[in-house]
Amino acid sequence: MSLASVDPLPSEAEAAPARAAPGLPRPALALLSGVLLVLAVAPFVLVFVISFGQNEDGAAWHWALVLENYQRFFVGLDYPDTFSTLYLERLWNSFLYSVLGALIAVALAFPFAYALTRRSRATQTLWLVLLLSALSLSEVFVVMGWDILLSNKSGLPMVFRETGLTQWLKDVGAFPILREWGLATPRNVRFKPSVFATLVSLTYIVWPYAVILLYAPLSRLDRSQIEAARTMGAGPFTVVRTVVVPAVRLPLIGATLLLFVYLLGVLVSVTVFAAPPEHTLTVSIADAVRGSALNAPFGAAQSVVLLVVASVFLLASLWLTRRAEATR
Amino acid sequence: MVPAGLRLDRVGVDYGAVTAVGEVTLDLAAGGLTALLGPSGCGKTTLLRVVAGLERPSRGRLLLDGTDITALPAEARRFGVVFQSFALFPHLSVADNVAYSLAIAGVGRTERRARAEELLRLVQLGGYGARRIGALSGGQRQRVAIARALAQEPRVFLLDEPMSALDAKLREEMQVELRLLQQRLAITTVVVTHDQREAMTMADRIVVMSAGAIEQVGTPAEIYHKPASAFVASFIGRANRLEGRVCCGAIETAAGWLRPKGGLRFIEGAAVQAMCRPERVWLRPATEPGENRLPARVVFVRDMGHQREIHLGLGLDAQGERLIADVPATDTTPFAVGDSVTAEIAPEALLVFPGQGTERPLEVAR
Repeated sequence: MSLASVDPLPSEAEAAPARAAPGLPRPALALLSGVLLVLAVAPFVLVFVISFGQNEDGAAWHWALVLENYQRFFVGLDYPDTFSTLYLERLWNSFLYSVLGALIAVALAFPFAYALTRRSRATQTLWLVLLLSALSLSEVFVVMGWDILLSNKSGLPMVFRETGLTQWLKDVGAFPILREWGLATPRNVRFKPSVFATLVSLTYIVWPYAVILLYAPLSRLDRSQIEAARTMGAGPFTVVRTVVVPAVRLPLIGATLLLFVYLLGVLVSVTVFAAPPEHTLTVSIADAVRGSALNAPFGAAQSVVLLVVASVFLLASLWLTRRAEATR
Repeated sequence: MVPAGLRLDRVGVDYGAVTAVGEVTLDLAAGGLTALLGPSGCGKTTLLRVVAGLERPSRGRLLLDGTDITALPAEARRFGVVFQSFALFPHLSVADNVAYSLAIAGVGRTERRARAEELLRLVQLGGYGARRIGALSGGQRQRVAIARALAQEPRVFLLDEPMSALDAKLREEMQVELRLLQQRLAITTVVVTHDQREAMTMADRIVVMSAGAIEQVGTPAEIYHKPASAFVASFIGRANRLEGRVCCGAIETAAGWLRPKGGLRFIEGAAVQAMCRPERVWLRPATEPGENRLPARVVFVRDMGHQREIHLGLGLDAQGERLIADVPATDTTPFAVGDSVTAEIAPEALLVFPGQGTERPLEVAR
């Protein structure tokens, strides 16, 4: 057979359709993408549009293009006669609880995950299974457990009183401080409602997520870097500070941001453990949409503000992280 | 700084029921370069980690200039270690990597910078201090790792397979450079390698290890020319091996008789293996029978540029054991595939060891 008689190889352009053949046909793919896009975006668009609607008596509302819901949120409905920052304070509470909860969870999860990666494979597997099981617990279940544990009559306060710990706290003069922090009555310690109980509950909910998010990058850490630092005189804490934390700084930031966003939406913990003045925007939204207030357009406006604030915060964090990486 | 001498006194490491290092006693001369050489899994890296303080020995002691340092943690030993992966910190610049140990020791920033630059110049990377680790080539990273390990003025310098991540040409260059640097600084140095060429190039002394035990300790020349066992002979360089039996003061092999210089230390009838280096096999163009002369036929010729490898099939029909002879490369090819030749092995080049599978050498006490 001469070379001329051999069929030429198909060009790249000719070969391309053949490679695409096993996938879905292009129109079907476009349709599927469109449906997914609509399903993903439609709820957000709807909430955005409703936020400009008007409430009616009896939980009804109608389409409109008014700014009264946003006015109520930022300055109050009776502005300029009166000025109300109630919802801005709730937004601040949301932000504060989410940031603190995420930071505490990550701070507690990091040493645990780091220690876990240094254990045997069997121990690691056991803990990961336990953590994944903990993730399956609903927030309601977790809150119920903590509610019992922190309840004034049968929980930790009772243990404090019965074991004499309360008296000891009084004797050493710690009680006035606890009372100042809202963690004690004149007679005994009291954990709920309090910021402390809310943060404990929030941290408990997201801690397993934090461990799982940090476990993978810590497992991939080059052990020889840690050993190299040790041979150069670094003790265990210095190794963690100068080698381990910088090596996983991006996963640490990522985990904190993810948990922050997650905690913005947490409802039950705040409802049960936080005093009404410390309630978050999520509680207020739930009230507006399904609770006592029944004002869907105002609930939608609050949701939009929360979404925008969360997005701005996330984008700013990502920008700062990238800038820090670029200037290294 | 006065170089330190290190002694490993019956050091052993067990991982559960598995013994990684049996019981090693070894003296590392002050200021010398010792290579731990052996195949993968022989325990050489474990031994280096014990010396570095990264692994606690299950038994034995480690003495530095006579002081027991077995329980001393790695961070307190002041031993410089270059890891196989180099283990550089990607979040730090080149200079900060080099100055890491100085920062830990609390040395001021200005002094740290000056010292880092000095060390970088020492490894021919002057002016690279501000660069990121990710921007360096493999060879440059290795130099940074060396400079970093030297920054704390280590009492002992340890290198774990330092050339394995480099390409062949760079590896050869770095072997020479590292040896010159070590001689200049006169630091007691231990290099772990599985590359016998690397060990021969760099080391004053080579410790050949196998299955968690030392097979032989000696200078490169001793290890090569006077291997203590068949394992050492086959692991260091290339070696031809012929199975045989002791008979009448000589070795009877399938291809012919071999008589080493100085006689045999084995009892009559003992199974032995005779070994010789390819460069000690001389080829004669025609069949010339005689002692230490084996009839053979050329089955393959491999041109290596500076020399030729002649692969031989032993026996008149070339169906016997294989033998390799190295001959100098010349313009003309003296031997071609199919030629009948005589392979002559000089008596002084013959190394005789117990036969494979022999539980104990059937040696005659001398």
